[in-house]
Amino acid sequence: MRPVIVGIVTALVLCAAIFLGSRGLHNFDSALAPYAIASVFLAFGIAYRYMVWISSPGARRLFRKGWGAALSWQNLRRTPTALPRMIATYLGFQKFLGARSRSRWAAHQLIFWGCLLAAAITFPLTWGWFTFTANTGAGPQYTMNIWGFGVVKFDALSVLGWLLFHGLDLAAVLVIAGATYFLIRRMRDREASTGQRFGYDLVPLLALIIISVTGLLLTFSSVFLHGGGYEFLAVLHMAAVVLTLLYLPFGKFFHIAQRPAAVGMQLFKYTGHGEIRQCRNCGEPIDTTAYVDNLRATMRDLKLDFDSLAEVCPRCKRLRRGQAYRTTVKPGF
Amino acid sequence: MMGRTIVIDPGRCIGCQACVSACRECDSHRGKSMIHLDYLDQGGSVASSPTVCMHCEDPVAPCAQVCPAEAILVTPDGVVHDADKSRCIGCGNCVNACPMGVPKIDLEAKLQFKCNLCYDRTSYGLAPMCATVCPTGSIFYGTLEELRAERPGVEVASTFDFDGSIISTGVAMVVPKGRPDQPLPGGAGEHARVTGSPQPAGHLEPSADNVLGEPL
Repeated sequence: MRPVIVGIVTALVLCAAIFLGSRGLHNFDSALAPYAIASVFLAFGIAYRYMVWISSPGARRLFRKGWGAALSWQNLRRTPTALPRMIATYLGFQKFLGARSRSRWAAHQLIFWGCLLAAAITFPLTWGWFTFTANTGAGPQYTMNIWGFGVVKFDALSVLGWLLFHGLDLAAVLVIAGATYFLIRRMRDREASTGQRFGYDLVPLLALIIISVTGLLLTFSSVFLHGGGYEFLAVLHMAAVVLTLLYLPFGKFFHIAQRPAAVGMQLFKYTGHGEIRQCRNCGEPIDTTAYVDNLRATMRDLKLDFDSLAEVCPRCKRLRRGQAYRTTVKPGF
Repeated sequence: MMGRTIVIDPGRCIGCQACVSACRECDSHRGKSMIHLDYLDQGGSVASSPTVCMHCEDPVAPCAQVCPAEAILVTPDGVVHDADKSRCIGCGNCVNACPMGVPKIDLEAKLQFKCNLCYDRTSYGLAPMCATVCPTGSIFYGTLEELRAERPGVEVASTFDFDGSIISTGVAMVVPKGRPDQPLPGGAGEHARVTGSPQPAGHLEPSADNVLGEPL
């Protein structure tokens, strides 16, 4: 019940933000209403799914420890740059992906920055937060308004103007390049195709490509076809975006909401005062003391009564089990 | 235990490392071996033992249960998969919760990796790489009937006792004929023996750098 309530509250907060940000719907573009409505459902879905996720013992404990480390005044004073640096390297530049594969890192960066750019443009637009006004029809002095306040004045035909009006086209090019790489990889690479599921692994890539291609076709229609087929393409593009937004919390895209846990986890370990739990048997370092204690508590929550084994390193677990087999099951093999 | 599964007989293992090499060669692993081969009493005996993921059935996959990122999938056929790459945050919960000592972790890549019963092969009816190359039959893949056709009367066990906690697994181990039907010792509690084998890759100093990967 709690996830549903949190989901509804989040959706209502977004509705209020749309109402206020669009100056009481004065700036709201009703042609974009399906996108805005989908984003409200998205807000519900993400909050609901997030609450379900952190209700499991492992995630709940890490959620608390991660935020505890992030919001600790003591940690902030001791290492003020740790959190912003981790956010930049983990969430922005995704350094860990580079350690997995450079080409995957590059392709993921294309998708990531493309989607981020697209989200930064479309969500405020559909919520009526961004508006563009001009004193004359030709618009030599375009004004970009955020929440109804004039922020940037620019010439619509300048480079800045071109970039602002073609931001989504640029995003589409980035996303198509990245998603195509991953799609080809999913068809050719044995590692990627092992156990892959159509709905989980392929649908997200196809959705990104369909959204980007239909979006680019809108520009193509207006530039080269004098708007021919625009209405059909607009509906097709909208359907693709709305369905993807609704799918987002329940499939592979949910990793976007989950990945910040890596920052919380690393920060929790990083701020563990350098105390290391060593293997009881051989003395090899296992993990930070606070982390091992947290894991043992998680295991007890789950009624996994062998939590004391978390203080023995993996190799010693195997050696002990092997020795026990050798001495008591099949003596002296 | 599962229908077609791996059955391990440490008594047959000669420590040749063929399984480790074959696992590494599999093109879905990219040069990383998921199987462990341990020399149990180095300097005292030549005994060795291979360890694959035991695919715990009850309690089901402790690694997946403790995972904070819902990254470890257990398919209906009982196979406990390696971490989903888009979800794994590289925390190491699975590594240290696993009572068998199976999962490994790449701290820099923030990624766990472990044996997935060669899902790319077994889901098409092929034997896993390790079982395919094992020269002594220490790692067998098939049904119990197929094992008994090769080794008449052989008995297997697929429950383990970790100091009172019983875990039943999808992967089984050969036990001597006539052994009472009781769980295998997990090597915890009263069966814990201090092992003196040196670390194959050298001893790691207990510093934060060695458990954090790269701190920042």
